[in-house]
Amino acid sequence: MTLPNLTLADFLPLLPAIIMVVAASVLLLSEVFLSATASRGYQAVLTVVAAAASGAVAVGLMFEPPQEVFLGFGVLDPFSSFLTLVVSVGLGLAALSAVGFLRKRGAERGEFYALMLFASAGMSLLAMSSEFITIFINIEVLSIATYALTAYLRRGTRPSEAGFKYFILGAFSSAVLLYGTALLYGATGTTKLNDMVVPLQQALSTNPALVYVGAVLIAAGFAFKVAAVPFHMWTPDVYEGAPTPVTALMSAGVKAAAFASLVRVFLTVGKGMDPKLPLMLFATLALLTMVAGNLMAIPQRNVKRMLAYSSIAHAGYLLLGVAALFVTAPGEHFRVLSASSLSGGTPLDVARSDALRGILYYLLAYTFSAVGAFAMVSALERREDEEKGTAWDLERFAGLAQRRPGWAFAMAAFMLSLGGIPPTVGFMSKLVIFQAAIDVGLVGLTIVAVLSSAAGAYYYLRVVVYMFMHPVPEGAQPLERNWGTEAALVISTVAVILLGILPGHVTDWLAQAGTLFGQ
Amino acid sequence: MNIELALFGVFAVMTLVSAGLVITARSPINSAMALVSTFFFLAGIYVLLWAHTVAVMQVLVYAGAIMVLFLFVIMLLNLGDAAHRGRPTVTRILGGASAFGLLAVLAVTLGRTQALPAEMGPQAQATFGTMAAIGQSIFTSWLLPFEAVSLLLLVAMVGAVVVAKSRI
Repeated sequence: MTLPNLTLADFLPLLPAIIMVVAASVLLLSEVFLSATASRGYQAVLTVVAAAASGAVAVGLMFEPPQEVFLGFGVLDPFSSFLTLVVSVGLGLAALSAVGFLRKRGAERGEFYALMLFASAGMSLLAMSSEFITIFINIEVLSIATYALTAYLRRGTRPSEAGFKYFILGAFSSAVLLYGTALLYGATGTTKLNDMVVPLQQALSTNPALVYVGAVLIAAGFAFKVAAVPFHMWTPDVYEGAPTPVTALMSAGVKAAAFASLVRVFLTVGKGMDPKLPLMLFATLALLTMVAGNLMAIPQRNVKRMLAYSSIAHAGYLLLGVAALFVTAPGEHFRVLSASSLSGGTPLDVARSDALRGILYYLLAYTFSAVGAFAMVSALERREDEEKGTAWDLERFAGLAQRRPGWAFAMAAFMLSLGGIPPTVGFMSKLVIFQAAIDVGLVGLTIVAVLSSAAGAYYYLRVVVYMFMHPVPEGAQPLERNWGTEAALVISTVAVILLGILPGHVTDWLAQAGTLFGQ
Repeated sequence: MNIELALFGVFAVMTLVSAGLVITARSPINSAMALVSTFFFLAGIYVLLWAHTVAVMQVLVYAGAIMVLFLFVIMLLNLGDAAHRGRPTVTRILGGASAFGLLAVLAVTLGRTQALPAEMGPQAQATFGTMAAIGQSIFTSWLLPFEAVSLLLLVAMVGAVVVAKSRI
């Protein structure tokens, strides 16, 4: 019997996830000793501290050289560490916005924060997994935690419907992903991504159909998780029915982790394949998702639902970045925008690593803007209006600038950022992705992206117009303040604006994070 | 025609027939019982694949424990027969068409697949599929997924309790 030689270095990349799991266990165990009415203020604080600690560890890990850990079941590279940082940011902000939300409903319990922490641990582990069974298990960890969180407040029909729909469709998509994995395993005889490159070449010459069908099924499974059109049907209902802080975590964390794994899997599986196939696949998904997401968001008067459709649209812009990773023969417009080359390599390599950086930057930008916007939604909604369906109506934002100028300013910053308008981080991150896409020659697709994001500005700015130009409605209920929500708003607003005007340092830093193991 | 192939034929056909019954049966109890027989015939296929441990788990856990729970739930909810099948709508027709399309693609793909190389040395053959070999690999090289599964089970347990709580 041979024992594998596992050292401390193998466990180091797990540290952020371990911190989250330990904090979750402390929350679960301490909940046992509390009476139903006991004060639970420490729970959110502990969650935020754990998120900050794992984020700090992730920043430290980002400077480690890319390496395999756990015999190739996982990898430690700046890419995965950056994703863990994004997840920690999303977790911390969502937990802050949950304080007031849960307290208003008398629903503050340790299990809520524990499940949030478990979900984030799964996301962090998913970002570093490089073996199909590990990937599948971690997808299930984060999915099951979010299914339970979606159904956490089962008052009325909406949350039950959302939880059930998410659970059934999520289980189905996991099965599709697993079946694709099984086909790839059948073709190559391994489930480890880093061992797959050579057998994949052989399989492509003997059993090409098996590889392609497997890859398409895996792509479909991931497309469901990132809510790409035509796998988006669940998104509006689930995002609307879930408790708002959970929606925030879903829109930021689940999406980021799923994109990380998608990129990691397809950069390996796509090797040796006719490069046109993954390019066509992701370009089509990107096109459908950008256009349909924005068009469906325009008629929405329900802000929470509008943000759900907008999250679909943002998945489309990210898919544009993913498609740019698979361009091997650039068109004639090659490198029209950026002339300087950061590192060595051919211009195409540089443009592709720009696309990778763009995806990471975009995920960070979207996390701050979307979680901030959802925190604002949770501050304005009232439990009594949920059954009537008016809790998230645009009217609730009317005249907010007169009632709470600070909140209105923060929400305006998030809306501008989501719409991609300077001087916010949303503008800079869109710029990086679109520039990379043009540099590799995806000009047509980028023009569609720009046009659809211009259409998107309509529904984002409508919220701003309501806040600043509409009168306060008659009989408006007083707005309750809460330290958690306000902290989340302040942090997100500062980040959205600072990252928007100081992009130089961030992009330098991201240039390093855009390295994947084995690429 | 060797005996293994004949057995596989029997198990495969019976698995498909019982799986078909699961989705066509009107009464939930009949559906559940058809699911039990699907699990049994699948276990037979696992045995033919030398995966004895998985086959035993399949019978013990799925056909035994999980199906008993299914039956309990059906009895507790007191479900009657499905009253009507619903009218065919555009979504249903499209869904059915894409399901059959996927089935056709998979059938063509798997039909054209060439025999995959079975690389199994005599030493591996002696231990393959045994409890000892599985236990050894779970706790050594497959440690990371194993630990992830324990996290998954904990999350599923906490999640089930949270969802089943009467009121928060």
